[in-house]
Amino acid sequence: MTTSLPGPEIPHVLSVRGVSKAFAAVEALREVSVDCRAGEIHALVGENGSGKSTLLGVASGFLAPDAGVVEIGSVRLRRASPALARRLGLGIAYQDYSHVLDLSVAENLYLAVPPSDRPAYRRMQRWARETLARFDLDLSTSAPTGSLSLAERQLLEVVKALLTRPKVLLLDEPTTALGPDAVARLHELVVGQARAGVGIVYVSHRLPEVLAVADRVTVLRDGVVQGTFDTARLSENELVALMIGRPLQVAFPERRVPDADGDVVLTVSGLRGERFGPIDLAVRKGEIVGVAGAEGNGQVQFLRALAGVERSAGSASCDGAPLDTRSPFGPLRAGVVLLSGDRRGEALFPVLSVRANSTIQVLGRLARLGVVRRGNERRAMADLLARLRVRMGSSEQPVQSLSGGNQQKVSLIRPFLRGNVKVILADEPTQGVDVGARFDIYEALRDKAADGLAAVVKSSDPIELSGLCDRVIVMSRGRIVEEIPRHELGERRIVEAIVGSRPAVLAAETHA
Amino acid sequence: MRRGWLPFVLMTVLIVALGAYADAHHSVFLSKENLNSLLLEAMPLVLVSLGQATALLVGGFDVSVAALMTMCVVTASFTMTPTTSGLALVPGALALVGVGVATGALNAFLIRILRMPSILATLGTLSVLEGASLLLRSYPTGAINTDVTNELTSSVGFVPLAFVGVVVLAALADGWLYRMRTGLALRAVGLDERSSRRLAMPATAVVVAAFVVCSVMASIAGFYLAAEVQVGSPIIGNQALESIAAAVLGGASLAGGKGSYVGTMLAAVFLTEIDNVLPLFQQPAEYADMTIGGLILLALVVYQLPELIGRARGARASAGRVAPAETGAAVS
Repeated sequence: MTTSLPGPEIPHVLSVRGVSKAFAAVEALREVSVDCRAGEIHALVGENGSGKSTLLGVASGFLAPDAGVVEIGSVRLRRASPALARRLGLGIAYQDYSHVLDLSVAENLYLAVPPSDRPAYRRMQRWARETLARFDLDLSTSAPTGSLSLAERQLLEVVKALLTRPKVLLLDEPTTALGPDAVARLHELVVGQARAGVGIVYVSHRLPEVLAVADRVTVLRDGVVQGTFDTARLSENELVALMIGRPLQVAFPERRVPDADGDVVLTVSGLRGERFGPIDLAVRKGEIVGVAGAEGNGQVQFLRALAGVERSAGSASCDGAPLDTRSPFGPLRAGVVLLSGDRRGEALFPVLSVRANSTIQVLGRLARLGVVRRGNERRAMADLLARLRVRMGSSEQPVQSLSGGNQQKVSLIRPFLRGNVKVILADEPTQGVDVGARFDIYEALRDKAADGLAAVVKSSDPIELSGLCDRVIVMSRGRIVEEIPRHELGERRIVEAIVGSRPAVLAAETHA
Repeated sequence: MRRGWLPFVLMTVLIVALGAYADAHHSVFLSKENLNSLLLEAMPLVLVSLGQATALLVGGFDVSVAALMTMCVVTASFTMTPTTSGLALVPGALALVGVGVATGALNAFLIRILRMPSILATLGTLSVLEGASLLLRSYPTGAINTDVTNELTSSVGFVPLAFVGVVVLAALADGWLYRMRTGLALRAVGLDERSSRRLAMPATAVVVAAFVVCSVMASIAGFYLAAEVQVGSPIIGNQALESIAAAVLGGASLAGGKGSYVGTMLAAVFLTEIDNVLPLFQQPAEYADMTIGGLILLALVVYQLPELIGRARGARASAGRVAPAETGAAVS
């Protein structure tokens, strides 16, 4: 199926041939062959669980393939070793980063460069400042990496990969935390590297984004290559069809006509905290309100403060009763649930089973005489597992063994099983989730809204916000600078609001 | 580093305070003889604690160190007898270090290759070493060469030369840990092994080296234990938990990646000081254990304080004002 063009004699900087890899019984890759030429940007797309991460793991020497060969710069990777792959000229920016969070930015940069390129240890700070300046990144070099925002960490990760002076650069979802302007900057950087002869393998869920920069694209589905194509000859729809194996007719579930004077469920007035505020907002029953903005403008902190996870001042109420946001217990009791964007760290217990993760908050309801009934648990979950189309071997599987998209779906089950949920606060509910699974998640949120819930969804994807939400608020510097009503919603409109919103805030501040 | 000064200050204050208190009641405490014996008594614990701190830095424990020290004492009673002399003592001494290297290699193999948790792996090694010691010497017997032990304990004034040595060693080790590339690598592996591997650092080699260093330090501690008892006793070493206590009091984090050799050295001296002072007050040794336990808990609370205070202050400050939006790279 692979249509490698016999064309010009450009050397392959990365060549993966006939690679197979299985985890226990699950076949993650089957005889996969992909190559990347010097100077090209090669997109790798596929649903979650299609084998992209495994392929990157094998290519970068982190995982040993069961069969097949990896060549970096025409030299065979003899054994699975990230150090060896790096010596051969492979650089990689991981989706979940390679930072040691307790070490400073300078120390992390220092560890990222090959020993021969390292400055004297005592010159590290100055060298780090110069390096960051070269990439136009404005970060404190002595700050612990853990204090950076996700967007900053993501850009730092790419810089670290480039510091290895790679022949081939693997980018695994490098824009998940980036706003549109940061994405544009990253792409500028990537295109510049490609012009300089670096081969780039670019993995992303954001098809318009990758297609804008990629020369060729390889589609993976269920661990098998569906083909490699010139991006110029392929439409986005065709690509999506290849990825999911069925034509995706609607990307978003239908919105019912909103109840203009439905009851207000969530009221926020003058809420402020670290990086945001003061914010006023009212959300009605059945409404999904989107939160847009360039990354790091207080959107996440706003949601987390509402859920009682971060400190705040000001007031909020749910269903008329004041919301106690001093701890997560108040909002939970009142029916305000946060879906954290940090799946591994906050939303899930990675080593527990799908079943345990789903039912852990409602065990009392499923128990008789204090003993939890497995049957009750299964019945409670079955419907949601099916409706969300969670793909797994069994519900006893540890959640960490599922793909990212399926993990995200499992994290939705828990709040949905709770009886008293009135407001769902979702932080990037589809981050790292493929197209098919996204629809399932949108549909689940829409269903809940139709049942009378209110939802506030923070997302860095303007298309998602315009397709899913009834209206979108745009935040800048911690405040709401614009509200976009439903009939105006669209990618362009949101992006314009995000980009154009800064002067408005500045004007407001000079007036004050 | 940022929290490094706190263990350092606390341990110094405690050492001085306990010393002053003891001296106020029993002038014998500050006598040259007592100080000299205190510092010599501290040697085995200081040495093994420096090793233990290394294991803790990579996120592991080594509970086999005390049994290893015993094994070294027993070994010395065979290889460094009063009748061995001159150059024949060199292989005899190397045998002790060899036992250390072998034990460290075994521990590292169990932990890295067989993927056992370090506490279980070293617990196994502990039993093996204990059994082996009893097999070789079922009761304390076999004199150890006094030329060697005298050499080890030689002093200038009341200060043993060896003690000067470990102070310099601890200072150098801290310099290495926080000012050199390989020290950074050790901390990085201890803090976050996955990221370290992704950055192509030889995580396995680092952990193996740390456990070998730990065992070798324990075997050197064995020399000083031998100098103390002068006979092949199969039941002498009991510093396993004390060495972990010293490393933690010295600022080490059980999660790995953080710690200080100088702090550990001071803590080991302090723990020995407690043992030394109690008899002056006719207090039974059991109190020493209870005191040490209580102090560890107290120290852990104190070490967390800056972070707790900072968090409370930060939260209050941020809730009280409108924070400026982040001036991040993504926004500008």
